[in-house]
Amino acid sequence: MAKHLLLLAALLCAGVANADNSKAHAPTVVDQDGFKEPLSKLKFNPGLDQREFERSTLNALNVYDPLESWNRRVYHFNYRFDQWVFLPVVDGYRYVTPSFLRTGVSNFFNNLGDVPNLLNSLLQLKGHRSLETTGRLLVNTTLGIAGLWDPATAMGLPRQSEDFGQTLGFYGVPGGAYLVLPILGPSNLRDTGGLLVDYTAESQINFLNVAEVSSNHPEIWALRAVDKRYQTSFRYGQMNSPFEYEKVRYVYSESRKLQIAE
Amino acid sequence: MLRSLRCAALLGGLFLSASALAVDVDPASYGYPLTNPFEATIATTPPDLRPDLPSIDDINQSDYSLTMRPEREFSLPDNFWPVKKLTYRIAKQDRAAPLIFLIAGTGARYDSTLNEYLKKLYYKAGYHVVQLSSPTSFDFISAASRFATPGITQEDAEDMYRVMQAVRAQNATLPVTDFYLTGYSLGALDAAFVSKLDETRRSFNFKKVLLLNPPVNLYTSITNLDKLVQTEVKGINNSTTFYELVLAKLTRYFQEKGYIDLNDALLYDFQNSKEHLTNEQMAMLIGTSFRFSAADIAFTSDLINRRGLIIPPKYPITESTSLTPFLKRALQCDFDCYLTEQVIPMWRARSDGGSLLQLVDQVSLYALEDYLRDSPKIAVMHNADDVILGPGDLGFLRKTFGDRLTVYPLGGHCGNLNYRVNADAMLEFFRG
Repeated sequence: MAKHLLLLAALLCAGVANADNSKAHAPTVVDQDGFKEPLSKLKFNPGLDQREFERSTLNALNVYDPLESWNRRVYHFNYRFDQWVFLPVVDGYRYVTPSFLRTGVSNFFNNLGDVPNLLNSLLQLKGHRSLETTGRLLVNTTLGIAGLWDPATAMGLPRQSEDFGQTLGFYGVPGGAYLVLPILGPSNLRDTGGLLVDYTAESQINFLNVAEVSSNHPEIWALRAVDKRYQTSFRYGQMNSPFEYEKVRYVYSESRKLQIAE
Repeated sequence: MLRSLRCAALLGGLFLSASALAVDVDPASYGYPLTNPFEATIATTPPDLRPDLPSIDDINQSDYSLTMRPEREFSLPDNFWPVKKLTYRIAKQDRAAPLIFLIAGTGARYDSTLNEYLKKLYYKAGYHVVQLSSPTSFDFISAASRFATPGITQEDAEDMYRVMQAVRAQNATLPVTDFYLTGYSLGALDAAFVSKLDETRRSFNFKKVLLLNPPVNLYTSITNLDKLVQTEVKGINNSTTFYELVLAKLTRYFQEKGYIDLNDALLYDFQNSKEHLTNEQMAMLIGTSFRFSAADIAFTSDLINRRGLIIPPKYPITESTSLTPFLKRALQCDFDCYLTEQVIPMWRARSDGGSLLQLVDQVSLYALEDYLRDSPKIAVMHNADDVILGPGDLGFLRKTFGDRLTVYPLGGHCGNLNYRVNADAMLEFFRG
């Protein structure tokens, strides 16, 4: 008898489990105050005791970070450098230049950056993307006058960044230890290597002669750095948490995975 | 005689309450496109339905910091150096103008997305704008909170009032014609208490105060938020956690799209794709974000007060110390746990022990019922489908505010604040 009951219960449970358990399509009941009670639209775990938030988060905290104490020091150094040097310089830059000039500078350096984007698209055998980036380079370098304007984006060829770290990831190289680079910020072993390769490739190709000229004129590097910071919206402290280091680490690792998969 | 007076008062009261009905915005003409409250909360208004706002380059703004609690310079560990002073942001007009204070919502800093949006909106309309962190925000707890245990709204409002006075003192030469006050979510509850405080302290004489989506019963709100991570989410199993599920959806979405493009329309577009999240998944996501706020609050409060619940009181912390073990402990603590383990014991010790019900009464809008009913300068905008409300809360607002309450049929929690219709109503309230 007990066995039968158990079987019956199991069958009933299975029925419930197979049914569409979402209440999303239930009609909204408005009470006399006009309140729609949105929580009534949700299907809750009956015991209200699931630990999925804890499980997900604990799992997400497992990022390979053997150099953590060094990384944290660099992280704080970067934070200070950002607040006391980088951002004031960017503010000054913003103050002394008109907005079209800043856009021009950004476009110019982005156009240079399309060279490694193209190389890495090719290395990953992404035909469509390589074509698009080639189109961007041609259009922006000619019509856009050495990249100062960006007519390609308006023509429906959006900028798609690919770097050597992504290429390595594409061929299955794991990220390796998490690494916070001085001034450059979050990275890992693979992406730091990728950065070096991209840098070398760029100076070898010497597109528009910029790499050669900037070796004699460090101010071009400075402008490039300021422009990079100007274009990056991240602000230290914006996560507003004592655990910002962990959160940045997780977001960096996951966003790299996403960029590689895409 | 007395009886007839009472009778007249009763009749008058009935007449008044009948005439002062809340403004219910008609769902048919409202035009807000997101009918799902969770979607509205996460994605907010689609970009082309938002008001036109000035770009940051056109706003004369700077960040300043205040030393509110000098002793924290020494009592806080080294890696808290960025939050030993309280930072706020002020956008100044180049002429005499009214000044509006914005108070951020739960756990949010002065530069939260909504605060930035409200700044642009009011700056464009000609106000000086001061953006303030929530009293529950990490930087505020560390730098400006006397007891570093946010949740007792009255105390939070006093901390906030001091900060506002310090802001005024630091910008003493700024020509201000009138003071206004607004806040969203928990910041709206704080704004109500700050306004009450101002009636006796009289530093600002706020001309008008606008509460956007305030919690009515704080306990209901935190219970609702804690509950959001208890939804049954399809697709979670032994090998896939919730985050992995969401990230996998996001990856597939970008792969189909062909490129990564992070912009304002992303969430809206994502929800219209076939990878969209279900109600339960969205609720889980909202709940997750609040759980992180709860973890930050619980950890910071415990550390500063040396309660030893999450971090041992004398644990040596330098800039290179890993805080991950403490995050692992703090994330086990939701709002209810923080309330039970930290707020209530402190409140009992300071107030000769009261019950949870008394505490809830004190820290919610109920505590100000008479004041709010009799203050024509305070108004509320709320949504009929806000997740932080419970049954009866709208009724309380209707009874208390009468025609100073506007109820929008849609919008979830703060999702319609950047809808053009709401923006116009918000500006109109302060203009009128």
